Amino acid sequence: MDVALLMLVGGIGVGIFGSLLGLGGGLLIVPLLTLGFHLPLREAIGVSLVCVIVTSGASASVFLERRVANLRLGMTLELFTAIGALLGGLIAFLLDERVLAGLFSVLMTYVAVTMLRRRSGPTPDMVEASPGPVQDASSFTARLSGPGYRVRNLGPGLVGSVFAGVASALLGIGGGLIKVPVLHVVMGVPLRVATATSNLVIGITASTSAWIYLLRGGIDPYAAGPTAIGVFVGASIGSRVAHRIDLGALRLLFSAVLLYTAFQMLRRAAGIQ
Amino acid sequence: MSDESPDQVPGVASSDSGMDGRIARLLRVGTYVAVTLIAIGVVLMLATGRSPLDVAPDFDPARLIADLVGLQPAGFLWLGLVVVLLTPAARVAVSGLGYARVGDRSMALIAGLVLVVILTGVLIGTPGLLSSIGA
Repeated sequence: MDVALLMLVGGIGVGIFGSLLGLGGGLLIVPLLTLGFHLPLREAIGVSLVCVIVTSGASASVFLERRVANLRLGMTLELFTAIGALLGGLIAFLLDERVLAGLFSVLMTYVAVTMLRRRSGPTPDMVEASPGPVQDASSFTARLSGPGYRVRNLGPGLVGSVFAGVASALLGIGGGLIKVPVLHVVMGVPLRVATATSNLVIGITASTSAWIYLLRGGIDPYAAGPTAIGVFVGASIGSRVAHRIDLGALRLLFSAVLLYTAFQMLRRAAGIQ
Repeated sequence: MSDESPDQVPGVASSDSGMDGRIARLLRVGTYVAVTLIAIGVVLMLATGRSPLDVAPDFDPARLIADLVGLQPAGFLWLGLVVVLLTPAARVAVSGLGYARVGDRSMALIAGLVLVVILTGVLIGTPGLLSSIGA
């Protein structure tokens, strides 16, 4: 089969899996392109950034229309995720690819273990949104709050956002893995609003570093095209069939795939592959 | 894309409601225009037998129009990718103007600063500019 078609089909698979598990595609696109199609790691990260912007753009528009995403809070956080992405984009071109592969391996192992733990017990980050301390209604933090919840711990939330931006730019992920817990657990935002707001922020986070990748030759349009279309189509399919799938079994399968891929990335980091 | 169903929780200040709809439309149109351009590029790739493993031409804005007119896959792919990257920035610009119009100076300032950070990324990425930093 034509390599472009294979990439398109691979992208569809990644988009479906990512969407079903609420992960976005970033975590899977990089291994697909590096281990499956032997693209250089940095180029795969650039393509992945493009894919996460495309998929988040479509879903963020739905979240905004239904007024779930908190635009003010999102814009405040994305100033800091963008600063992090700027730093990460610079660091990515200074680091050896083997270091990036090692970081990716650590991230995949962390996600796989988190998924396995979630299967065996209650989700650890399901805390109730707190009304929080009474604030002056004119204060900046109060104006970032929404109906039924008050934003708290803005400072730590902004620091977490910088970290999410660095991770996004280094590894080609949307950064929701960091942003959602920061918004929900640290800042006291309800989980649905946290997920929607994180989705909105992904566009600016990923595009800030993607500009650096694109202009420095880190995005190959022939690889980005079929992959982005595949992931977009796959994510659309995944969001429509999610309610019919047994996510427990899928998480177990996905954790195994992640652990295997993490091992392959580790071999690459060690220079064995 | 998230598997969260966004139906139930109203989560935003009421003064932003009109702007949310405008921005949602902007994001949707930008995404679909980008996906359409990239899809045309992919169809042209398949039609001309180009492989993702071939060496692609570098991004060159000066060649973009000629490539589009000549139905070159790279032209459509590059334009689609640029629209992908411009869409979030356009969303911030429109939000910033909206906040400035209603007198919310702090949010307008934040939007302006986000655009400055993105522009800094573009300057850092452009070959020859700030070339002492990084590769």
